[in-house]
Order: sequence, then C-alpha cells, then structure tokens
Amino acid sequence: MRFVDEYRDAELGRVLASEIVATVEPGRQYKVMEVCGGHTHTIYKYGVDDLLPENVELVHGPGCPVCVIPMGRVDDAIAVAREPGVIFTCFGDMMRVPGGHGTLLEAKAQGADVRMVYSPLDALRLARENPERDVVFFAVGFETTAPSTALTLMRAKAEGARNFSVFCNHVTIVPPLRALLESPDLRLDGFIGPGHVSTVVGARPFEFIPADYRKPIVISGFEPLDLLQSVHMILRQLAEGRCEVENQYKRVVPYDGNPQALAVLAEVFELRPHFEWRGLGFISHSALKLSAAYSGFDAELRYPVPGVRVADPKACQCGEVLKGVIKPWECKVFGTACTPERPIGTCMVSSEGACAAYYNFGRFAREREVV
Amino acid sequence: MNTGCDETHCITCSDEGVPMQVVEVSATGLALCAGGDGGRSEVMTDLVGAVSPGDSVLVHAGVALTRLA
Repeated sequence: MRFVDEYRDAELGRVLASEIVATVEPGRQYKVMEVCGGHTHTIYKYGVDDLLPENVELVHGPGCPVCVIPMGRVDDAIAVAREPGVIFTCFGDMMRVPGGHGTLLEAKAQGADVRMVYSPLDALRLARENPERDVVFFAVGFETTAPSTALTLMRAKAEGARNFSVFCNHVTIVPPLRALLESPDLRLDGFIGPGHVSTVVGARPFEFIPADYRKPIVISGFEPLDLLQSVHMILRQLAEGRCEVENQYKRVVPYDGNPQALAVLAEVFELRPHFEWRGLGFISHSALKLSAAYSGFDAELRYPVPGVRVADPKACQCGEVLKGVIKPWECKVFGTACTPERPIGTCMVSSEGACAAYYNFGRFAREREVV
Repeated sequence: MNTGCDETHCITCSDEGVPMQVVEVSATGLALCAGGDGGRSEVMTDLVGAVSPGDSVLVHAGVALTRLA
C-alpha cells in the first residue's frame, strides 16, 4: 500500500544501517529514547534495534497513554461503569488495565455494561441508539486522540445530546518530557520525537529540548525506515556537535501542527492544574479536562467519582521502565507473574507498552544487562 | 482498517495513524473511508477541510488528522 510499503524496504534499511555504523564514534555509548509507544512497537516488531551497532541503545519512553494511567483513575472508571443505567465505553486496551479493585473487563463480567468502541463517535452513536441509557466514554490519549474526543463533544453539543458524557483522561506530551529531563537518574543523548502527536501540536513545542537541555530531537514516522533514518539524524547531530529539532516525518507533520485541531482542543478542553502519571508522579499542567462550556458533558461532575490514589504494586517496576532506567526484562516480575494475559503493570497491557512489545515479539530471553 | 486491540495493535494509542482513502462523502461532515486491508469506517473530516472521493488521509480514532499528498 502507498505510504507504507516504500518505508519497509529491506535493502534501503541495510543501507541506512551501514550509514549509522559509519556515523557513530567507536567506544562512545549512545542512549536514544523513543518517546512514543508506537515507535517501541515498530522497533520490536521489525527488529530495528538488531540493525543498530552495539553501542547505540534505544530506551523506551512514557508515550503509551494506557501505560501512564494510574490505578486510581481505573478505579474511578469502574465506579462510573457500575452506576445504574450507564453504558460505559472505552478502547479495548483500557478494559484490561488493572486498578486497585480489578479491571473494567472484570466489572463487565460482574454485570456492569462495559463496551469496547473504536472511536468516541461510536460512543455518541450508542447514546443516540439508547436514549433511555446514559453513555459514558473513557477518554484516554495524548494530543493525537484528544481532537477526536473534542469533535465528538462538539457534535454532541450541537445535537443537544443529554445522555452522553466523557470521563476525561487526556494527557499532554511536553510536561512529562520536561519531568523526565529533570530526573537525576536519566542519561540520554537524544530523543526520537512522537510523530502523530506532532501532526496536531507540530514540532515547535519540542524546541525546549535542545534550548534548555542541549539534546537533539528528531520527529519520526512509524515505519522501520523512518526510525532508522531518525536514529541516523540524531547520531549525525551528535557527531557534528549540533542539537536541534529536526523533522524526519515531513510527509505528515507540519512544523506548526494542525491549527484547526489546536483550535478545537482550545475550545473543548482546559489544562488541569496537575495530574498523576504512573511511575512519574504528579506533573503540573500535564492533562486536560473539559472546559466550562462543555462541563455539562463531564462525567466527573455527573457521577460520584471516588478519586482515591492507589499506590502501584510493590513488585511492579513500570515507573522505572517508563523512565528508561531499566529494560522491561530487568523487572522482577516480567514474563513470570506479569504477562499480557495477566498483567500486573500497565506496560504489559497495551501492545504499545514496552513490556508487552518485548514479550509479544520474543525479546524477553536476553541476558540481564550488567551495569 | 484494523481497529481491534490485540497483541500487535492498540487503537487507544496516541500514535496510531492509518492511511485511508475517501470513498464517499456525506453531508454531515463525515466521510466513508477505506483502509489498505479493505475495511471501511466512518471518519470525521473537520480538521482537513473539504475532501473528495480518492483523497488520502491519515486517520486516528475516527478523525482524519492530515491529508497525505
């Protein structure tokens, strides 16, 4: 298919891999973080890391929105799903994320009406088809997904839908990156920037990374050749002593983003003062809630939400995985107590979570790294 | 369009983007689009302006985020 096949060409991949080898300085160790879960998924599905020299290590970042949802928010979602008359809708992965008291899938088995949808628009359609029920959509995702929720809410408002609301957990990409860069145990040389988030916000918001932290970032596409080229661009910046924002994904990402999408987000949402991220703690201005104009659709105002903070299980090291401090297979419960079938931590739930990506593509048999 | 969540795919995600082709445009700001696997779904096109059958767009969670040249 066009826009896909040409970015999976094995011969071009080998050429890029040899250019990467020629760019690295022998004896120097490079650590590059891919921010986005979609990149992690591509890297392990296609074995991109196997084409890199041994001294170039890819570290997996916090860009999987399922993986960063704290357990307390899942409990809140389950509480709303159990309200009488509610049809609770969410994307499939969220159904298996464990809260402090089970998962949405378990709540469904116990009688709650929880349904998987493919988009918020499907949830609004359910509301139209079930006027006697109240349909709630569990909104999760970065700036890529938030416009879909926003446009659906604008439609709901225009239609005068009274039986539709949103439990909003949308998050923003820049604050957690800044929090990561402030983390004292982080040692990174550069970043592979999130491609589709940038379709909405553009490449400009990432300028603080070279300006304030002197590290290169390359906004990257999601095919194997995109990632190889992005790694090459980062290594070339390092070799030439440069650090700047470069856009490898120009075929999709305008430097200033999508102005219509940004306008829609500004109308429907406002920033929360703070929000808890799994493994990263509370981060200021890192999540969205519905604006005053849309507060009538806010499930948190419509239903009693417990709002209890739940500590992660002690055995779970998702936080360290999300910060790139350890590799997934270095977690004590990886592949034993924690598997995609019975996940303890969120990184094992979503297929874009670093642990699930390792597990599903057979990359869990590596030897423990000696630091 | 593969929109299910399974061991190789997560639609929640942030960075899922599916190239699709517009098949039919409705008056309600929605377009019927087809993915590479032949699957079809309704897509909101508010963020990319007017579309016509044959146009290629990048779709995420039911929204066309950008046009593909």
